[in-house]
Amino acid sequence: MADSVTLSFRADTRNVGLARTVAAAMSARADLPLDQLEDVRLAVDEAVAQLIVDAPKTAQITCVFTIVDAELDITVTAPTVTGATPATDTFSWTVLTALVDSVTAAIESDVVTLSLHVVRQIPVDA
Amino acid sequence: MTAAPSARRSTRWGEPQRVRERELLASFAAMPADDPRRKAVRDELVTMHLPLVQHCARRYRDRGESLDDLVQVGTIGLIKAVDRFDTGRGLEFSTFATPTILGEIKRHFRDRAWAIKVPRRLQELQSAMTQATDRLTRELGRAPTVRELAAAMGVDENDVLDAIEARHAYATDSLDSSRDGDDDRPAALGDSLGVDDPALEAVEYRESLRPLLAALPDRERRIVLLRFFHNKSQSQIAEDLGISQMHVSRLLARALTKLRAGMTDATTH
Repeated sequence: MADSVTLSFRADTRNVGLARTVAAAMSARADLPLDQLEDVRLAVDEAVAQLIVDAPKTAQITCVFTIVDAELDITVTAPTVTGATPATDTFSWTVLTALVDSVTAAIESDVVTLSLHVVRQIPVDA
Repeated sequence: MTAAPSARRSTRWGEPQRVRERELLASFAAMPADDPRRKAVRDELVTMHLPLVQHCARRYRDRGESLDDLVQVGTIGLIKAVDRFDTGRGLEFSTFATPTILGEIKRHFRDRAWAIKVPRRLQELQSAMTQATDRLTRELGRAPTVRELAAAMGVDENDVLDAIEARHAYATDSLDSSRDGDDDRPAALGDSLGVDDPALEAVEYRESLRPLLAALPDRERRIVLLRFFHNKSQSQIAEDLGISQMHVSRLLARALTKLRAGMTDATTH
């Protein structure tokens, strides 16, 4: 029942727009109201931009968008040269946490994954 | 049937309002530029003539910009008219203000709307989307979904997504080229949100954030603070500031792009 889309691209800021476009399309499919859709679009933009900064130039960034019922889960995965997850005391992190319901960061073998969780703000039959 | 000239609106006022208008205009003209009472007088004059702005804005409502945004820019014109009005010339204030208000609205279209060439299909879609969003937001008491918009507009959901993308594409190009007007807003919006906002204390490296925030136009800074540090939704902010949610979204995206560029500079130098 889960509806999933995977997008993979080179760690280049010119590719951020692709992620934004897919974020908007998947938000629409998850039936998010327009303001929440715009928030998700910004959040994906922010998450991808954040990981690109710390990724090797030739690295691939992978975004997975999964819809289950009224929820949208997005993971953004990229190798990092810093050996750490992004700092959480930054403006960028504040922005991410304000835009979606929850954000977590994990690292394994120098690969960082940001997980964004979004819950639709309106009842299904509204 | 001819449309009543917009200037005529104020003549529907009763005598007490006309007397009050004359009093205010006379006292405003007599006050030196640094008189602290000027703000209150100006605010009252602006408030009493807002129906004139609404009337002017409605003449342009079907051209793809939301009525809220047009009222907003029209109000800037009204404020300019209050500041420039010369009581000695014997003109009715509304007669003097109308061309200034219309001028500001037309400038908004010239500067911001369709400054880059947007295909006709997308222009029409966006125009329809703006109207449908306004209407559905009122009816539902919240922002509509893409599905609801598509149904209301009688188009495919992908068409609505195209319109959303195009809106961002045109906004980044055309809004950046015209910055004036942003800081020229009605004073009524309040000036409480500045870079000394206590909510900023929670962010560890606020020292680099603060100058970047300070460099943003007032309205963008206010939107950033309300959205990220006061947890207001885009729709709530839109209501607070009297602009459309789509406009909030554009300004927010624009402000974030600037902040991010500034912070990347700061960390790489």
